[in-house]
Amino acid sequence: MQDEAASRVLVCIQCGKCTGGCPESGRTPFNIRMLVRKRQFNYAIDESMPWYCTACNACTIRCPRDVKPSEMIIEIRSSLVENGDIPLAIQKALENTFVQKNPWGKPRSKRGEWVEKLDFKVPHISETKHKRLLFLCCVHAYDPRCMIIPVNVAQLLNKAGYEFGILGEEECCCGNEIRRIGELGLFEELMEENKANFKEYGVEEIIALSPHCMNTLKNEYGDMGIKVMHYTEVLSNLIKEGLLKPEKTFEKELIYHDPCFLGKQNKIFEQPREILNNINNVKLKEFSRSREISLCCEGGGGRMFFEVEAQYKRNSETRVEEAQEKGAEVITTACPFCVMTLEEKAVEKGLAVKELSEILMEVI
Amino acid sequence: MDILVFVKRVAATQEEELRIIDDGKNIDLSKIPFKMNDWDNYAVEEAVKIVEGKGGSVTAISIGSGESDEVLRRAIAMGSKDGILIESNETIHDPALRALAIYNFIKKENMQFDAIFTGVQSEDDQFAATGGFLAGKMGLSYASMVIGIDAIENGYFVLRRELEGGLQERIKIKTPCVLSIQSGINEPRYVSIMGIRKASKVERKIMKFNDYAGSGDAVIDLIRWSYPEKKGGATMLTGEVDAQCKELLEILKNKGVC
Amino acid sequence: MGYALIISEVRRGVFEERNLDAIGIANLAGKDAYLLIPEGNYNINGNMVDKIIKVKTEESMFLNPLIITGLITKIMDSSASPEMVIFTHSSSGIEMASYLAGKMGLPIITDISGYEKNGDIFFKSYYSDKVFGQFKKTKESPLILTVRSGSFKDFATDKGKQAEETTVEGLSGIEERSFIEYVEEEKTGVDITKAEFLLSLGRGVGNKDEIPKFEELAQLLKATISGSRPVVDKQWLPKERQVGTSGKTVKPKVYLAMGISGAFQHIAGMKDSECIIAVNKDPEAPIFQYAHYGIVGDANKIRDKLKDIIQGG
Repeated sequence: MQDEAASRVLVCIQCGKCTGGCPESGRTPFNIRMLVRKRQFNYAIDESMPWYCTACNACTIRCPRDVKPSEMIIEIRSSLVENGDIPLAIQKALENTFVQKNPWGKPRSKRGEWVEKLDFKVPHISETKHKRLLFLCCVHAYDPRCMIIPVNVAQLLNKAGYEFGILGEEECCCGNEIRRIGELGLFEELMEENKANFKEYGVEEIIALSPHCMNTLKNEYGDMGIKVMHYTEVLSNLIKEGLLKPEKTFEKELIYHDPCFLGKQNKIFEQPREILNNINNVKLKEFSRSREISLCCEGGGGRMFFEVEAQYKRNSETRVEEAQEKGAEVITTACPFCVMTLEEKAVEKGLAVKELSEILMEVI
Repeated sequence: MDILVFVKRVAATQEEELRIIDDGKNIDLSKIPFKMNDWDNYAVEEAVKIVEGKGGSVTAISIGSGESDEVLRRAIAMGSKDGILIESNETIHDPALRALAIYNFIKKENMQFDAIFTGVQSEDDQFAATGGFLAGKMGLSYASMVIGIDAIENGYFVLRRELEGGLQERIKIKTPCVLSIQSGINEPRYVSIMGIRKASKVERKIMKFNDYAGSGDAVIDLIRWSYPEKKGGATMLTGEVDAQCKELLEILKNKGVC
Repeated sequence: MGYALIISEVRRGVFEERNLDAIGIANLAGKDAYLLIPEGNYNINGNMVDKIIKVKTEESMFLNPLIITGLITKIMDSSASPEMVIFTHSSSGIEMASYLAGKMGLPIITDISGYEKNGDIFFKSYYSDKVFGQFKKTKESPLILTVRSGSFKDFATDKGKQAEETTVEGLSGIEERSFIEYVEEEKTGVDITKAEFLLSLGRGVGNKDEIPKFEELAQLLKATISGSRPVVDKQWLPKERQVGTSGKTVKPKVYLAMGISGAFQHIAGMKDSECIIAVNKDPEAPIFQYAHYGIVGDANKIRDKLKDIIQGG
C-alpha cells in the first residue's frame, strides 16, 4: 500500500514546517507532523484526527522534503472510507454525491435552475461555437447565497461578448472535495462522467467558477487537452482588453482574501487583485497573511459538510477581526466556500463579504 | 444464523417534485435517481452485524427490474454473502402480491433460513405490510418496528419494538421468524465505490417474478394518482403579538404536542 | 349495512385518541362500528360506536399480532364477517394489520388519509405525501385498513345512543411471541432526533443570555431545545443539539424555529418535520418557504409573550 502512496512519509525529517503552516495547529488537537511520525511507524491514529485537515495544502507547499502530508491525509481518510468508518455527516455527503451527484443531495434535475435568473439564454455547450464551458460547481448551483455568483459571471461574460455554454443538469460534482475526503472510487466515477461529457461535446476550454473545481479539473483529471481557467483569469483579460469597463467608483474600503485553492495551490494571486485595482477609488488592503501564506477559512477538505469535535476560535473570525483592524468595510474573495465561512462571522461584526463578481456587478 | 434480507431499489424523491402524468395513471420518475430503500439499509446492516458476531450468512434478495442489481451489489458490499434478483418489470403496488411471490419463491427454491429481515417500509409506497403479510402467510412469528435486538438465545430473539412517544416494548420471539427493521436500530456502514466494485465480482442469481407470482392477481388496485392539497407556503399568523402567540399555541395544541 | 371491526389501541390504561380516526372512517364508509378492546377501565364515549366487544385479556395481548389475529379469526368464524377490519396506522397497528392480512389472505391498504365514498376509494400516501395513490379492493372480501392519525377523527361523532356491549373470552399467551415489559427509551444525554417537539434556536435570538429564557419556554411547552450551526458554533448550545447537514437530521411532529433564517444546510436537516413553524424578523427569510406557519417578529418578544400566556392561563 505504501508503494502506491503519493505521500512520502519515510523521508520526513520531522522539521515541523508543516505544523508551522497548518491552519489547524495549536488551536485544535490536530498535529500534522505528529501524524506523519505515526504513519512512519505505522502507529494507530485517532480516527477523529484526519478530519481536521482543511486540505489547504500549506504543509505540502512548505515541506522541504516533498513528503506531501496532505496526500497522506487523503490516504488515511481513504482507508477509513474503505472500512466504512467515517463521521456520519461525511457519510451523508458521500451518499448524496453518489445518488444526486452533489454533496447536499439536491436534485440533479435542478442543477441548471440558476439560469432562470438571467434575462438572456445561456446555450448548452453543444450549441456554442467556441466550446467554452462555464463549469458551475455544486455550491453555485444550489446554495441560495452563492447562486448569485454564476448569475453575475454569466452577465459579465455576456456583456463582454464572450461566448460560453453550460452542461446544465449533465454536469456533476467535480469531485475535488470527494477526493480529499478519501472516496477515491467515487472521485473516479465523477471524473469519468464529467470527462465523457467534455469529450462528447468537444469542450476546448473550461471556465471554473470555484477554485476547488478548477484545481481538480486542471491538476487531477489528467491531460484532457482542455485549457482550465478560473473565471477571474478570464475576467481580468476581458478588462485588460477593454471589453469590460468598471466605470463606477466603489466607495467602501476593500480587503482581499486569497482562497487556498486559487492562491497558494494554483498561484493565481494577481488576476483577482488586478480586477479589483482597476476599479475607481479602490485601494485594496491586504491581510498580514496573504498570498502564499493566506490563512485558510477552513471550508475545504470536506469541512463544509461536517463539524470537528473541538470547539475553538475559527480562522474566519480571526480573519474578520484583522479586516476590521485594517479598516476594511468589505471583505472580498473569489471562492464560494470562503464566502460562506467568512460571511458567517463578518455579519456578526458588521462587515460585509462580497464575492468578487458581486463587486464587479456594482461598478460595471 | 442464516438470514434472508429483502432489499428494494426506490426513487430518491426526497428533494424532488413529483409529476403525475398520463392522465393520472403514472408518476414521472424518468429524471430521478434511485437508491437502496433506507429501511432496508438498516435491515442489511443489522443482519450483517448478527452474522459477524454469531456466524452464518446473509442473503440479499430484491424484487424489481434488472437495475435492482445495484442494491444487491450494495448489500453484498456491506457483508451479504450473495444476492438474488427476482426480476419483475412491473411496479408491484399490492403488498399481498409481493409477499405471495416471496412465499412461493421461498417454498419453491427451498430457501433455508433462521430469520427473514425486511425494512419496516419502503420510501416509495410506504405500505409497511410486506413483512407482516409474508409472516402471516408462512405462519411464522412476526415483529415490526424492531429498534433493538438485545439478545439472541437458542431459538429466540429478545428484542425491542418501538411503540410511540419514546415507549418501547420488549418481547421474546421464536425463530424462524420475520422481523421488520426500523431505521435508527444501528448506524449503517459506509459502502465505498471500491467496495461496490469488489462486490460486483460476487455472482448474483436472477429469477423470474412470474415463476412465483401464483395467480398473479392483485387484491387491490391502484386506479389513479393525485396530488395532496396545496400548502402554498407558510400560513402567516398576523395581528398583534398577543393574537399571534395565542394562535401559535392553538396550532401546537392541535398537533398534540402540548 | 355491514359492520367494521375496529381494533382499539390502548397503552397503560389509556384509550388512545387515534382510535377516533378508525371510528371516523367506519362512519364515513357507512359501516356500523364494532370496537374490540381489552377488558379494563378505559375512558370511552360509548355513544360513538355501535358495539363494544370486550376481551377478557390483558392490554399486552393487544400488542401481539399473532394473538390478535387468532382472536379476530374466532370472531369472524362465530358471527357475520366484518366488511372492514380497521387499525390505526401505528407501530402495532401496521404489525397486526399486515399479519392478519397474510394469515387470512385478505386485501390490505395502509396509511389511509382520505376516502371517496363514491366508488369506495381509499387515498394512501406515497413518497412522504408528495403524491397519493387511490386504491380500490378488487376482491369481494373484508378489507383491512390502517388509518393515519388525525385524518378522520372529525367523523367520529356521537350517535345519540349507548353502544351495545358484549364480552368475549381472550386467548392465552403463546410461545412464539411473548411480551416481556414496556421500556422507556434510555435517556443518555439528549437525542434531538427522537423528540416529538423541537424548539430550535438560531442566531436571531441575539446572545447567549437569552438561551435560559428559551429553556424556560421549552419546559413550559414540553419541547426539546435544538439549534442551528451558528448557535452551536458560538457554544450557546452543545453540539448534540445541532440540526443540519453538519449536525443531525430531525423529523419531529412540530419544529418551532425561532430566529433561524434557514440556510439550506439547516433546511436539509429539518424539512421533513411534520409541521414547521417559523418565527423570524425578516419576512424574506428562506425558512418561510419551508414553514407551514410563520410569524414575522422578534423571537425574544414572541418567546416572552408565549410564556406570559401559558403562565397566565
